[in-house]
Amino acid sequence: MQRFYSTLIRLAAVTVAVLFLLSLELSGQAVAPAPLVPTQPATREIVDEVGRTIRIPVSPSRIVSLAPSLTETVYALRLQDHLVGDTDYCDYPPEAKKKPKVGGAINPSLEEIAALHPDLVLVTKSLNRLDTVRALDNLGIPSYATDPHTVDEIISSTSKLAEVLGAPEAGKSLAAELRNHLAVLQAKLASVPPQRVLFIVWTEPLISVGKNTFIADALGKAGAISIVDSSQDWPQMSLEEVVHLQPEYLVFASSHSEAAARDFDTLANRPGWRILDAVHNRHYAVISDAVNRPAPRIVSAIEELARQLHPAVFQEVPQPMEKELPAGATKPPSASPAFSLSLQDGCKGSTESSCAR
Amino acid sequence: MRPLTLPRLLLRCSILAALLFVVVVIALKLGAVQVSLYGLGRDLIHVLLGQSSAISSDYGMIVVDIRLPRILLGIVVGASLSVAGASFQALLRNPLADPYVLGVSSGAAVGAILALIVESHLDLTPELAGLITPLGAFLGAAITIAAVYLLGRRDGQIDSSTLLLGGIITASFLSAVIIFLMSTLRGSNLRGTVFWLMGDLSTPQPRSLLYFLLFGFLVAAGVIYTTASDLNLLLAGENEAMHLGVDVPRVRIVVYLAASILTGMAVSVSGAIGYVGLLVPHLMRLIFGSDHRMLLPASALGGAIVLVIADTLARTVVAPSELSVGAVTALVGAPLFIYLLRRRLA
Repeated sequence: MQRFYSTLIRLAAVTVAVLFLLSLELSGQAVAPAPLVPTQPATREIVDEVGRTIRIPVSPSRIVSLAPSLTETVYALRLQDHLVGDTDYCDYPPEAKKKPKVGGAINPSLEEIAALHPDLVLVTKSLNRLDTVRALDNLGIPSYATDPHTVDEIISSTSKLAEVLGAPEAGKSLAAELRNHLAVLQAKLASVPPQRVLFIVWTEPLISVGKNTFIADALGKAGAISIVDSSQDWPQMSLEEVVHLQPEYLVFASSHSEAAARDFDTLANRPGWRILDAVHNRHYAVISDAVNRPAPRIVSAIEELARQLHPAVFQEVPQPMEKELPAGATKPPSASPAFSLSLQDGCKGSTESSCAR
Repeated sequence: MRPLTLPRLLLRCSILAALLFVVVVIALKLGAVQVSLYGLGRDLIHVLLGQSSAISSDYGMIVVDIRLPRILLGIVVGASLSVAGASFQALLRNPLADPYVLGVSSGAAVGAILALIVESHLDLTPELAGLITPLGAFLGAAITIAAVYLLGRRDGQIDSSTLLLGGIITASFLSAVIIFLMSTLRGSNLRGTVFWLMGDLSTPQPRSLLYFLLFGFLVAAGVIYTTASDLNLLLAGENEAMHLGVDVPRVRIVVYLAASILTGMAVSVSGAIGYVGLLVPHLMRLIFGSDHRMLLPASALGGAIVLVIADTLARTVVAPSELSVGAVTALVGAPLFIYLLRRRLA
């Protein structure tokens, strides 16, 4: 036994020494990492939306996007030829599906990203993991992070991104177009009171959006107001709370309206949900899931919702050509808004079941 | 059964080490990006010669900077978890003992989440910020270990069943705390925590942390190894061991602390990877018998092999996305554990 141990200790000492030498070897190698991309001659320093200072090429030509919203934005800026990779969830526009995939937004494959030799990786704070950004930093791959919290910030973030990607004019014109679109919409909706809505992210469990999200802001721009007053981003709602707040409309975001109708039926058939006015009247709106993505397309989703919540405002001109009309020209006709107004007057501030019709 | 001699011990360990080397080479080759065996061999020779700048291949960075550190992390974590599992099983004389049953991983998770909250209020350099989560996880694990240890004491002595029960209750309490924290707090970093809770080796750790882990593993595992023959005697029963001259309370504290440090370090960088600490010692016991002088190094090497294989599967099965390695170990581990259990009963 004694000999067993003394021999063993000697062997252990040798092993430790070898490991130590090996580790020196490895750490020496860490000092001189293989350069990732051939160093670009023209780089510049910028500060991204989360305040990190990064050094990027003046005009990045190999971009990897790690969020569906960023992929959409790159396409909207017509810079898709520079996009060399995106995530499994980047499905809009449809051509984005054909780009080389680097995995999901939360668990992308670093190998795939590195293999694409990007000179810039785009990330967004609300979706991607900090770990991913740190890992890219360690590999010497610059990443630019966006962090919009409102519709206005989505637009300004888009034009900032255009500048970073070396296409400031495209960004300026896109931002102007989006702002104009919104301004026309706001002018139309100025005359009608907002509808109180419950935005439904998920039905089981029932998840809605908090007041600090860009979705809540988008609802506001569509002439709606979210009944949820939570500082959490994705609050789980109880039926009691929903009944207490009595939304006038349930809003679903889905690329398939049948799926949304099914979701509505799921809720309507649940015990207790019948006492909701919105369920009773089948008051639900279905809009494109673009509203879930902080990308330029959110503006058209806002208009889509506004049209369903305030059909009267949009009635005078059947085609969506009313942009040219002066704002005052579209006074709401009396019939339908009167109904919604009376409904609101009757129930405002009151949570009695007498409101349930 | 022939007695364990040093040559036999070394022979068996070198067979396992050779197996580990083969597994590492295969793991280096497989991945989302294709690498040729020839290019890999050339690169490895360059790395061993310390001329990484000479790596000309297009994918040198992928193999050397992404795959190799991850595999090394898998080796250290797998070895730590298995050695900790083998020690806890011997110490508590309970084959169900495992670092996770004792609540350590839940404690580490709470620590990591609290660290993320604190981090968002501090203005730290990226290098420091990257170390905050492992530090928080380690402190969480250490505090939980101390709490469970105190819960498991009876009349100044550790009582196996009280300790196990204390661990299970602490784990479920802390899981509830995690759910509470996750549903009351906002912030995108918590998204990463969910991933982390399932066990994840994909986050590259700073090289210095890797060396620290390796050093910590060698020290803690070495300390446990000095008690290997005491642990053998403990298998016969505590009173018997005491009559044979084993200082049972001292062995208990030393092994418990060292195994807990191993677990805390592993969890702090990899999250909750289950079944490695439970199953690998069982398998090694089936193959090599229950002499701890053999079992402990065999568990270390076996744990490294198993976790590297599991992580390679996690990287490749749904490529280019990644599975969490904890899911892989649980998917394979749970049925295997039931099989071993039934076999033992029969």
